[in-house]
Amino acid sequence: MRSLRREPALLLALLAVAALVLAFIVYPQLNVVLTPGPGGYVQFLQEGTWLVPLRNSVELTLLSTTTAVLLGFVYAYAMVYSNMRWKPFFRLVGILPLLSPPFVVAAAYTLLFGARGIVSYGVFGQSPNIYGLMGVWGVQTIAFFPFAYQLIADALSRSDPRMEQAARNLGAGSWRVFWTVTLPLSRPGLGAAILTTAIYILEDFGNPQLIGGVFYVLPTQAYSLISSFGEYTSAAAVSTILLLLALALYLGKVRLDGGRSFVTISGRASSMPRPPVSPAVSLACFVACLALAGLILLVYGSLVVSALTLRFPNNLQFTTEHFQYVLSGTNGDALRNTLVFSGIAAAFSAVFALFAGWLVQRGQWPGRRVLDLLLILPAAIPGIFFGLGYLTAFNQRWLDFVDRGWLIIIAFIFWNIPVGYQAAVAGLRQIDRSIDEAASSLGASSLRGFREVLLPMLGGSLRVGFVTTFVRAVTTLSLVIFLFTPPTTVATIRIYQLVGDLNWGAATAYTVADIGMAIIALSVFAALARGRIALGAARA
Amino acid sequence: MTPELDRRTFLKVAGATAVIIACGGAGQKATGRISIYSALNESTNNQLFAAFTKATGVEVSVLPLAAAGDLQTKITAEKNNPQADIFVGGSSEFHDPLGKQGLLEAYQSPNAKDVAAQFKESSGLWTGWYTGIFGFISNTSRLNKDIGGKKPATWDDLLDPAWNKKLILPDPIKTGGGYIFIATQIFRFGRDETKAMDYMKKLHANILSYGPTSPGVITSISNGEAAGAPNWSHDILTEKAKDPSKIDLNVPKDTGFEVGAVSIVKGTKNLPGAQAFVDWVLTKEAGDLNVKLSNRGSVRKDVSPAPGAPTLDQVSLVNYDRQWATDNKTRIQKLWQSAVGIQ
Repeated sequence: MRSLRREPALLLALLAVAALVLAFIVYPQLNVVLTPGPGGYVQFLQEGTWLVPLRNSVELTLLSTTTAVLLGFVYAYAMVYSNMRWKPFFRLVGILPLLSPPFVVAAAYTLLFGARGIVSYGVFGQSPNIYGLMGVWGVQTIAFFPFAYQLIADALSRSDPRMEQAARNLGAGSWRVFWTVTLPLSRPGLGAAILTTAIYILEDFGNPQLIGGVFYVLPTQAYSLISSFGEYTSAAAVSTILLLLALALYLGKVRLDGGRSFVTISGRASSMPRPPVSPAVSLACFVACLALAGLILLVYGSLVVSALTLRFPNNLQFTTEHFQYVLSGTNGDALRNTLVFSGIAAAFSAVFALFAGWLVQRGQWPGRRVLDLLLILPAAIPGIFFGLGYLTAFNQRWLDFVDRGWLIIIAFIFWNIPVGYQAAVAGLRQIDRSIDEAASSLGASSLRGFREVLLPMLGGSLRVGFVTTFVRAVTTLSLVIFLFTPPTTVATIRIYQLVGDLNWGAATAYTVADIGMAIIALSVFAALARGRIALGAARA
Repeated sequence: MTPELDRRTFLKVAGATAVIIACGGAGQKATGRISIYSALNESTNNQLFAAFTKATGVEVSVLPLAAAGDLQTKITAEKNNPQADIFVGGSSEFHDPLGKQGLLEAYQSPNAKDVAAQFKESSGLWTGWYTGIFGFISNTSRLNKDIGGKKPATWDDLLDPAWNKKLILPDPIKTGGGYIFIATQIFRFGRDETKAMDYMKKLHANILSYGPTSPGVITSISNGEAAGAPNWSHDILTEKAKDPSKIDLNVPKDTGFEVGAVSIVKGTKNLPGAQAFVDWVLTKEAGDLNVKLSNRGSVRKDVSPAPGAPTLDQVSLVNYDRQWATDNKTRIQKLWQSAVGIQ
C-alpha cells in the first residue's frame, strides 16, 4: 500500500471507515459505559456482587474455549485434509449450532439430557443434574465450535500444498508434517479462532442463563439485573467489566502473534493437490465428524418433532397446528423482517469487514492498532448492551424520520463485524505482499489492487463474514430486544414471546421455520455467488 | 339495542366523562392511536387491547415483552424521545422507580377512587389494577408417588425430607419471583433475617435446581423434572387448564403477592388517549376480561375471581413491605448466596 498522501482516495476511504466505527461502535458504547457515573461504579464495585460471576466467567471461558477450538480444529482438519465421505452434509451440520436462537436450543438440551430427559431418563434411566458448570461447558462447546471451525478451515485451506508436499518429499510422515508445517502456518487463523471463540463465549448469555443453574456469569448477572429488577446502572457496570476482560484477551492475542510472517501464498501459481492423508486418518475424521453431527442432529431433530406434535414431550400426537399458527395472520411478518434485515446486514458487514481488514493489515498509517481493537470489540459487548447503546444514542427526535428497521440493520452490521474482520486479516496475512507490489508496479492504485487482485483471493474470508453475520442476525435476541418496534418485530422476539407464554409447540415451530428459512437463504446466496467470488465454493 | 352496544355506549360516555373531569373540562375526546409497552402475556394483550379499542375507539399499537424490567429499562433509555404512551403490566416495583426519576405522568383516574390505597401510588404516578398471589405448583403423579400426596400447607412443610431434591425454586438472583419468595420468608419471620436464612439454607438441601425464569419452572414441573415449585398462582392455573390431571395449585400459609400496575409515560404524544386507557383498565369490564384471560385477581371488589383462583382475602398473606424489599435487594441476595454456600 502506498502512502496515504499520494492516494487521496485511499485517505478518504480510511476516514470513512474510521467515522463509521466511531459513530456506530464507539459512540453508542460510550453511552453505556458512562451510564453508572463515578459514584455508580464505586458503589457497584464495593457491593462486590460481581466477584463470583467474574471468577466463573473466566473459568468457563477457559474451559469452553479450549474444547470448542479443539473440536473446531478436528472438524476443520477433517474437512480440508481428509478424504472422508459426506463432506457437504458435514458442512451443513457444522453450521447448524450457529443457528441456535437463545432459549430454545438450550431448552432442548434439558428436554433431552436433563433430569427427566428423553435420552438421559427415557433411554438410560438416569436423572443427571445438568444445571451448572458441566452442563454449560458441554453446551457451549457444541454451540461455539463452528466459529472456530469456520476460521480455522479458512486458514487451513489457504495454506500452500507445495510446502506440505516438500516436507513429505524430505521424508516427513503425515503426523510430522502436520505438527511442523500445517499447524504453524495456520497460526493466524488459529489465533483469530481462539480470540473470537473466547470472546463470544465470554459474552454468551443464553446457555449459562438456561442451564447454568446457580453458576452465575457476568452476562447472566447483567441480564438479570435489567430483566428481573430493572437495574440498568449496575448492569452497565457489569458490561464494562466484560469489555475490560475482552481487552485483556485481545492484548494476549497481540502478544501471541508477534510480528511473524505466515505467508503461504506467493506470487507463483500453484495447482498441486494436497498430499493425501492415510485412509485410517480419513476414517477417524469421518467417525469423529459423524459423532458430532449425530449429537447436533439429535438436538435439532427434537425441535422438529416438538414443532410437529401436540404437547412435546408428553403428548406426541402429530399436528400441523403449530406451523399453521406461525403462518397465520401477521405472525409471518417477523420472519420476513428477519430475512430482509439479516440479508442486508450480512452483505454490508462482510464487505465492510474485509475492506477494513485490508486497511488495517496492509496499511502503514498511525493508529491501526486502535482501529484493529475497535473492530474486534463488538464481539465482547453483550447484545443487550449493544442494543441499549443504540437506543440511547439514536433515539433522537431529529432521527425520527428514519425507519426503525435501519437501526436494527446497522446494529446487526457493526455487532457482527469481528468474525469477518478476523477472517480478512488472517487471510491477508497469508498472502504475500509481493502480489500487491506486482499490481502496484503495473500501475494500479492500492484500491484497484485490492478490488481486482486481493478480493478474488479472499472469497473464503468474505464467505465467513457473510455467513456469520447472517446467522447471528437471524438468531440474536438480546441485540434486538431494545430496538424492535411493533412493525419491525423479528423472529427471535416472537420466539421469546411464545416461550414466555409457555407455548412450547409454537415456539419450536417458529424456531424450525426461522432456521429453515436461514438455511434456504444461505443456499440461495451461495448459488448466486458461485462463479463470481468463491462465496459458496469454499475450498474446504 | 343489543346489550353489547349498550355497554359500549355506556363506556364511551363514562370514558368521555372521565377525560373531561381529568382535563378540567377542556373537553378533549380520546382519539387516535396510543403506543403501549406491555408486560402481560401475549394472549391477554391481544384480546384486552381489542376490547379497549372497541370500547373507546382509540387504536393501540403494542410492544409486548413479558419481562417488565426490560420495558422499565427501555423507557429509561428512551427518555429523550419517549416512544411509549402507556406502560402496562408488571409488578408496581417496575413502575415506581420510573415515577421517582420523573419519567411518568401523574394521573388520578376517576375510576381509581375505589381502589385501595395500598394498590396505588398516592399522586397517581402509577395505579394498580390487578393482583398476583404466590402459590405452589405440584406435579400430581410425582406428588403422589414421592411425597405421599401431601401438598405443603405452610412453607415450613417444604423442609420435610420427603421433598429432598424434588423442588425447583425460581432463581432468587435471576427472577423477581425467586426474590419475592426470599423476602416473603423474611417478613414471615418478622424480619428476623437469621431465621429466614436458616430456612433458606435448610430448603436448599431439598432443592434440585434453581430455575432461570418463573414460567420455565412451571414447564419443568409439568414435565416431571421435580415434584413441585413455588410460583405464581395465575400462571399455574393457566398451565393447569391445558391438562388438569397433570398439575395442581395450592397456596401455602403466609404467602406474598404482587400488584400489577399501569402508568402513563411522560412526554406522551396522546395524553387523552393514554388517560382513556388508564380509565378503561380500571373498569369492571376490563377487570373481568383480564381475570378471564390471565387468571389474575382484580383490585375491584365487584370483579369475581377466576374459577379455582385464590383471592387476597381468602389466603393468608405476610405483611409484605414492598419498599423495604426493593431497598434491601442486593444485600438480601448476597446474604442468601452465602447462606446456601454458592458464593
